[in-house]
Amino acid sequence: MIYAIAILSPLAGCLLAGIFGRRFGDTYAKIVTIGFMILAALCAEISLSQVLFAEQPPEPVILATWFDIGGFRLDWALRRDTLSSAMVAMVAPVATLIHIYSVGYMAHERRSFRFFAYLSLFTFAMLMLVTANNLVQLFFGWEGVGLASYLLIGYWYDRPSANRAAMKAFIVNRVGDLFFALGIALVFQLFGSVEFPVIFAHIPDHQDALYHVLGHTWRAYEVIGFLLFIGAMGKSAQLGLHTWLPDAMEGPTPVSALIHAATMVTAGVFLMARMSYIMESAPGALTFVMLIGASTCIFAATIACVQNDIKRVIAYSTCSQLGYMFMAAGAGAYQASVFHLITHAFFKALLFLCAGSVIHAMSDEQDMRKMGGIWRMVPWTYTCMWLGSLAIAGIPFFAGYWSKDAILEATWASHNPLAGYGYLMGVLAAFLTAFYSWRLIIMTFHGTPRADKHTMEHVHESTPWMVAPLVILAFGAVFAGWLLHGWFIGEDQAEFWAGAIHVGANNHVLHDMENIPSIIGLLPTITGVLGIALAYVMYMLVPSLPGRLASTFQPIYQFLLHKWYFDELYDFLFVRPIQRLARVLWHVGDEKLIDGMPNSAAALAAGGSAQVVKIQTGSIAVYAFTMLIGLVVLISIFLLFR
Amino acid sequence: MIAAIAFYVFAAVLIGSAALVVSSRNPVHSVLFLILAFFNAAGLFLLAGAEFLAMVLVIVYVGAVAVLFLFVVMMLDVNFDQMREGVQRYAPIGAAVGAVLFLELIVTVAGWQFVPNVTLHLASATPAGVTNTAALGHLIYTDYIFLFQAAGLILLVAMIGAIVLTHRERGASRRQNIGVQQARTMANTLEMMTVAIGAGSRQTGILRPLPPPARPLDDHDDHGHGGHDDGHGHDDHAHAGGH
Amino acid sequence: MINQNWILALPEIVLAICAMAILVFGVLWKRSNPSFPCAMLALASLLLAGVLALSAPLGSAYGGLFAVDHFAVFMKLLIVAGAGLSLILSIDYNVQTGIDRFEFPVLILLCTVGMMIMASATNLMSLYIGLELQSLSIYVMASFNRDDLRSSEAGLKYFVLGALASGLLLYGASLAYGFNGSMDFAQLRAGLTSTNPPAGLVIGIVFIVAGLAFKISAVPFHMWTPDVYEGAPTPVTAFMSTAPKVAAIALLLRALEVPFGHLGQSWTQLVVLVSIASMLLGSLAAIGQTSIKRLMAYSSIGHMGYALIGLATNSQAGIQGVLVYMVTYVFMSAGVFACVIAMRRQGLALEKISDLSGLARTDPMLALAFAIFMFSMAGIPPFSGFFGKLYVFYAAVQAGYWTLAVIGVLTSVIGAYYYLRVIKVMYFDDAQPAFDARSPSLSFVAAVGALVTVLFFVFPAPIVNAAQIAASALFG
Repeated sequence: MIYAIAILSPLAGCLLAGIFGRRFGDTYAKIVTIGFMILAALCAEISLSQVLFAEQPPEPVILATWFDIGGFRLDWALRRDTLSSAMVAMVAPVATLIHIYSVGYMAHERRSFRFFAYLSLFTFAMLMLVTANNLVQLFFGWEGVGLASYLLIGYWYDRPSANRAAMKAFIVNRVGDLFFALGIALVFQLFGSVEFPVIFAHIPDHQDALYHVLGHTWRAYEVIGFLLFIGAMGKSAQLGLHTWLPDAMEGPTPVSALIHAATMVTAGVFLMARMSYIMESAPGALTFVMLIGASTCIFAATIACVQNDIKRVIAYSTCSQLGYMFMAAGAGAYQASVFHLITHAFFKALLFLCAGSVIHAMSDEQDMRKMGGIWRMVPWTYTCMWLGSLAIAGIPFFAGYWSKDAILEATWASHNPLAGYGYLMGVLAAFLTAFYSWRLIIMTFHGTPRADKHTMEHVHESTPWMVAPLVILAFGAVFAGWLLHGWFIGEDQAEFWAGAIHVGANNHVLHDMENIPSIIGLLPTITGVLGIALAYVMYMLVPSLPGRLASTFQPIYQFLLHKWYFDELYDFLFVRPIQRLARVLWHVGDEKLIDGMPNSAAALAAGGSAQVVKIQTGSIAVYAFTMLIGLVVLISIFLLFR
Repeated sequence: MIAAIAFYVFAAVLIGSAALVVSSRNPVHSVLFLILAFFNAAGLFLLAGAEFLAMVLVIVYVGAVAVLFLFVVMMLDVNFDQMREGVQRYAPIGAAVGAVLFLELIVTVAGWQFVPNVTLHLASATPAGVTNTAALGHLIYTDYIFLFQAAGLILLVAMIGAIVLTHRERGASRRQNIGVQQARTMANTLEMMTVAIGAGSRQTGILRPLPPPARPLDDHDDHGHGGHDDGHGHDDHAHAGGH
Repeated sequence: MINQNWILALPEIVLAICAMAILVFGVLWKRSNPSFPCAMLALASLLLAGVLALSAPLGSAYGGLFAVDHFAVFMKLLIVAGAGLSLILSIDYNVQTGIDRFEFPVLILLCTVGMMIMASATNLMSLYIGLELQSLSIYVMASFNRDDLRSSEAGLKYFVLGALASGLLLYGASLAYGFNGSMDFAQLRAGLTSTNPPAGLVIGIVFIVAGLAFKISAVPFHMWTPDVYEGAPTPVTAFMSTAPKVAAIALLLRALEVPFGHLGQSWTQLVVLVSIASMLLGSLAAIGQTSIKRLMAYSSIGHMGYALIGLATNSQAGIQGVLVYMVTYVFMSAGVFACVIAMRRQGLALEKISDLSGLARTDPMLALAFAIFMFSMAGIPPFSGFFGKLYVFYAAVQAGYWTLAVIGVLTSVIGAYYYLRVIKVMYFDDAQPAFDARSPSLSFVAAVGALVTVLFFVFPAPIVNAAQIAASALFG
């Protein structure tokens, strides 16, 4: 019951705000959505504690039957294992904080009820996603968060760039979704069900099932795992399907914090953990996961080092951190990946909200080259930004330290063929992470003010509406790792997860990672500190150094600045050929052939229509005769063909 | 034998007069043929032993419905030429459709056969020991009470419909209100004036009735008092004119 | 002890008594125009009748004239819902049009009594009486705006053609009676043991089907529909396109399935023909229309064609499909007409499609509701209209009626053209001055319709299951 309230109250808030917001105004919408979100957050925490202290994993909460056609039955049900409950307990409070923050951030917007309704809609869809008890409901939530993300990225629909970014996000995600849907279809074909309990119970039965794809024979689990991961890549912006995430920063900053950092983009990681039963039986797919995760990790980190837009830096950082999570999944340490997911939610949401606060203070300026020298004016934001950065850089005893170290250790200890590559990339990325984080802090807050005088006069600390969530999240960024690591990856992990995450019989990663050389465990921390030092040298001590480096290594700098030319590559590979093809299809295929058919059919229909309507003269006699003739025709047909 | 002859006579006249109802050029004749048809149908009912239905047919249809038709036909100015034109225009199609339908029914009748146990369900028109009317009454008020009441509702709807579609409250119309007429006294109707001898009408002023004031058509006007109000208004005006 | 017969027919009886009481109240109420209190009382009566229908015991009454089974209950609830929604639509419209007379709700109630009798009729006589009670009320309502030439013409046209249809129906009933000696459905079925029925009886069935097809405006008995839909006051059009359609479909299903279900091969062909013709005409003729009410007339013809697909399969799945279809149709239809009634500029009712242009900018909520209904009518998922079609097409495919399903899909595609045109006009054409503020009653009906239409796919189970139980009552 409490669990159901936690999931459904955002929906209630969304509906009440969306339907009546226009009539009762924005204040009403804010009160309603935030009220329901607080309710949801409280219920989520209570529910998590119930799950943790229960003897047996609780049964799913069945809300209603969705479909019951023939033998195919689907319920609207809320899964209540540790994984779902933990996700709910993370999503609901973070979303609540971001609702509250938005009150301050969107204070100057008129008619912002739409914004709050969308935010609540998103939260509901996300909760639906993480509590799904079958793949179809999960897909419902998956598409629901996609829709909400689309609406929110394009919230300022009068900006063409926002509209473009919203469409880009939607379309790129469709690519991943296509594969995800295919994966669901294969699961249904294999198991005859999409309900998780059924699937998980029958995993051993289909170990040898085979598919013949493209002339090769594959194990069914490999194919399914591969397809599911491509779906996850789209949602979690992994290398290849990452291009939408930086553009999505067109949305209001709270949206970036909630959707594009803390929750939605981690849905892919969640999917890996949720489907750990299948992934564990698909070592080939896991290798691929490791490859993509590690590559994304380093790739995004390099780009983040040269970006100048404060939100884009954090966006690429998100991309990179998601790469870490997938690395952990690839190593078989799903627990570690979910752990990083949770800690990351705190510190990344914190970083984004701090960035939002800065942007607010700088009169909507996002370019770091036009900031600087404001750290005394925004002490709260500055402090929180520091705490968030310490967490993300993996400085000991902050949240990120526990989870990131666990991931790297697990990667080292795993039997994945690409484990070495993953570890190397991970350590390098840890160095870069620390570097770009302090580059951001120094460029934004220190040095000489580079903004114009007018802007500088208006720099001010944000309202309590915005600062309070920062402080609360900062607590999470500092303590979450220390508090939770025992449960998530420590000695208590087996009881904690209680079967929510499956590890194969040969998978001892979590155990093995305790027994690795100590230098391996220390390396990420060392590189992190080195990264900070480098950033300090380059941007604080010798501020001319970055410019000189950039001109010396012009090609590399340009390569990174243009994000490895991915957008240009896609433009060349897909967009333009498709546009050309589309033009051909449009002019030849569509206008001549396809339009030709319906047009002539339409002409035919219109002609028929004219004929049919012709007898509609309005004369009763004609109508009566039509009826009688019809009757006679029917009787004749009857007598003749009986 | 006699019954059979009577049946064929009644049936033949019934069909003949029905055809004449349709084909007759003068609508008054049509209605008269209709009455003839009703009489013959009543005769058929009588032969079947259903004397109550026969009487009802005569009383209701001949006595009321057909006479009403006659009134309507005579009161309305129907353009017969136009009607005839319509008949001629649709005659070929009508004939064709009718012919086909007729043929088909012939085919059907040729293959006429009852379902084996059909007679089980058939009730006799003349049950033993009870008059036809009483038997009908029994059925209507017991087995078919529900349908009987539902049929009553249909009549109610017809009544409501007739009132809704035709009844108009005319605010301007005058109606006789006997009570008001009786209550009129000389004092509120007439004003006595003393007229000087030799004075012309211009000097004394002649009281002329003013036209009644235009009143808006109002549906929920209070019933039956329109005339009274108007009368008063009229009087008042007349009165006012005098001063 | 009260006779069981009366308990079974309690909803009808109570509703009839309420109607008469409201009539008396309306006549005696002198203080102000009684139409509003009467409408409210009528709504309450409908609600009461709905509750009674839901809680009525099952059984057969009056010696087989009248039956209460799950099928009847399902249909009655749908009828009451349709009547109630239309009644709500009429309240403000009638005031604005100057036809706010208290007889209107009374007529709706009496019509509903007739329709409920139709849903329960298990005898050719009760079938006819119910049908006449319903039809006569609608004739009057169609010409309710008696000072408007189109309205009175609509009523007259419907009356004359309806009389013809009733004649056909009666003739068919007399043939069925003549060949079988009974008017009772169960006895008709018992009498027809041979699989090769006499030709006269079959022709009787054709006549009966023709009479009922007129009421659901199936081709070729549809001719009245566009004129009457256009001429009648819009709430009456809304009413005609919802509850009476349900009642007539109920009658058609029961009159074919119960006495003649085992003679399927002799009448399914007929239904197939009528269904195909209706789908084709409904989608083709609507294309050139400029009046939204005429468009809806053709649309309803098409929709009845789709519903008949389910009947043509002569299977329980098919009947279930018809029932689901009718549920989705009633709510879509009521919603569309709520939107149509909302089309009023400076007090003037509008009915041209072009009057909707740019509505999305002047009244986004109305445009959204309208668009939802149009999408649903076109059968585009995930709206309820899609699922209604899905169920009947699925039943048709299962029963091997591929042609029907294919033609159904093709005509849906053609039909989608004119539904989408309405959306295109609303969203992409130049804006016109805004409509008058719409009354809450219209918003209510539109919201109810939209909710059912949108949320059907989330919780289809209650309706689908109820339809299944109802359909099994005809086959049990």
